Amino acid sequence: MNMHKVMSGFFFILAMTLNFGFFYGSPEILAEHSKYELFAAIVVNLIATIFKFGDKTQVGSVLLATSLVADIQLIASASVWAFALYGLGEMNVEATTAIISLSGGALLANFTSVLIFIGDTLKSKR
Amino acid sequence: MESLSSWIVIRRLRWPFLVIVLTFSISILGMVLIPGQDDQGNVYHLNFFDAFYFVSYMASTIGFGESPYAFTYSQKLWVSFNIYLTVIGWFYGIGMIVALIQDEVLHRELARSAFRRAVKGLKEPFVLILGYNNTTKELIRKLSKTNVRMVVIDRDQQAINALILENYQPSIPAYSGDVLDSEILEIAGVRKKNCLSVVILFETDEKNTKLALMCKYLNKHVELIVRSGSMQNSDFLKTIGVEHVENPFKVISSRLHLSLTAPHLWLLEMWIHGHILKIKRREILPLGHYIIYGYGRMGKALEKGLKKAGVTYTFIDARETSLNRSLSEQNELCREDEIEEKLLSENIQKAALIIAGTRDDLINLAVIALAKKHNPDIYTISRENEMNGMHMFQAARVQRHYVLEQIIIDKTYNYLAMPLANIFIKMMYRQNEAWGEVLVDRIVSKMGERPMLCEIEINKESAYAAYHKLQKGLSITMGMLKRKREDHTLENNLIFLMLLRDNQPVILPDNEYEIKIGDKLLIICEEESKEDLEYILENYYELYYVMNGKESQPGLLSYFS
Repeated sequence: MNMHKVMSGFFFILAMTLNFGFFYGSPEILAEHSKYELFAAIVVNLIATIFKFGDKTQVGSVLLATSLVADIQLIASASVWAFALYGLGEMNVEATTAIISLSGGALLANFTSVLIFIGDTLKSKR
Repeated sequence: MESLSSWIVIRRLRWPFLVIVLTFSISILGMVLIPGQDDQGNVYHLNFFDAFYFVSYMASTIGFGESPYAFTYSQKLWVSFNIYLTVIGWFYGIGMIVALIQDEVLHRELARSAFRRAVKGLKEPFVLILGYNNTTKELIRKLSKTNVRMVVIDRDQQAINALILENYQPSIPAYSGDVLDSEILEIAGVRKKNCLSVVILFETDEKNTKLALMCKYLNKHVELIVRSGSMQNSDFLKTIGVEHVENPFKVISSRLHLSLTAPHLWLLEMWIHGHILKIKRREILPLGHYIIYGYGRMGKALEKGLKKAGVTYTFIDARETSLNRSLSEQNELCREDEIEEKLLSENIQKAALIIAGTRDDLINLAVIALAKKHNPDIYTISRENEMNGMHMFQAARVQRHYVLEQIIIDKTYNYLAMPLANIFIKMMYRQNEAWGEVLVDRIVSKMGERPMLCEIEINKESAYAAYHKLQKGLSITMGMLKRKREDHTLENNLIFLMLLRDNQPVILPDNEYEIKIGDKLLIICEEESKEDLEYILENYYELYYVMNGKESQPGLLSYFS
């Protein structure tokens, strides 16, 4: 058992599940999406990214890329939230859908990341 | 990814980033969850943005104060815990990043990739020079004036820094690494198509030969210039296909032979290396018996030259003394008693010339001094192993001194920057003294004792007009090129020394000789005649004038005349 593999696998999948938890619900009603879940998703995604640092292989590079995409999407989602709340002063439907769809994009990146991770693990003979 | 540097950075940043992310998220979450009180006494919660804002300036110790409202005690409790958590995490992270910037490994890696990029970016032909020492330093200085591009590797970082400080234009990519490492040779571009030649001028034959072999394996098309100290080693280098072997002792021997048998040919060769075109009185070698102190690599090479010149000579073996060294007092530096004894036993009073040819500059100086003591009129020649000692030998009034490093620099420079002059020297060795005397007189009577030497190739770049005229099938002779621009009946002060066509040299082509595209000319000239020749070769109208003796009339005008 490879401890590093366990840790990184744990964070990759946790990043995806938390993100899904936030994403799930009506895209127009913000009350169905917990801000705590978004916060957790961002933090876990950042940690997952750090776990992918410094892997020189081809697969490692692609994993890092997908992870960076997820980070950017989630941070953008949180930024839109903050901007709508303080910049515009009200939460309209447009902002709400933007927040949710951004996290949906991040979910896709997380999903790709997990797929590649599983594929790579299955391919390895040890 | 090809360069390691970015990976080193990312890998090192793992822990600092992890620590920062964890400490920040813990404190942000706490700040959001703990209830606060606004100015009216209502309970409120910081939202994530407020918390992120507050923690960011708390952790980086900027500290704008409590916002948006003054904190309650429960919040203050959490904050005071967080100050220690996040500030320590932040400093740890920043510290690691700063340490990384100063990291030796990273620096080397960055220098390496910068060097790799610089070599890759070289589109012109270049010369790879191994080692930055006294010899190559001087060589680089001379070559940098001729637009030859160079790449340098040396093991010593200090040497490379010194080279970078010289600030050559165009720049010389340099890197400190072990030259015996084939990977570094490869980064330096040995395998590149535009790597013309590799210069290997280290002092030990073993290292030079090893490097020559390595370079030949890495790229069999590259031209090698290798220093060699012995005949056997030179022969071996030739068999592995080294194009140019620099053996300073052989050069000294052939120069001595030349100056004994054909002083004017010797003068021509020395002039090409920068001497003035006149034999000074103190440069005429006397006749009589020669004594050579030291029978090592130099002595053996000298023997050949002197034998050919038909001079009587005797050798004094310097090595005997070094064997006896352990028996005699060891604190004596150069054992002048022994040297004196040996010189006297060979009748130094009657000898005409002494050559001090040992590998120790101190002994050489002692030999010269002692020989002069017993025979004030003796002609002295000395070998100098290091250039630093040059002033010392000048002060000792040695009539002729052979500086090994200087000889190698001149020879290599000629080979790389003035290939035609180099061929001319080889061809000249086949001529006799009378030929040399006539040529020297002719040059001196025309242009004085300090004429210039230049090389021109007849091609589109350096002879635009002549190139197009020749392509149309017109014939241009040497005589036409010599004419003056002001008056075509007069001749410029110009001598075509040699013409190289399809690698076949023609020495002193006459006025009727026709030039062709691709010819290379070696020309003795003055500043003014050089300018005239360049104009004639480059400019249609000038060329037309010297060819036909009248101005060309361009365009419509020609129809009316």
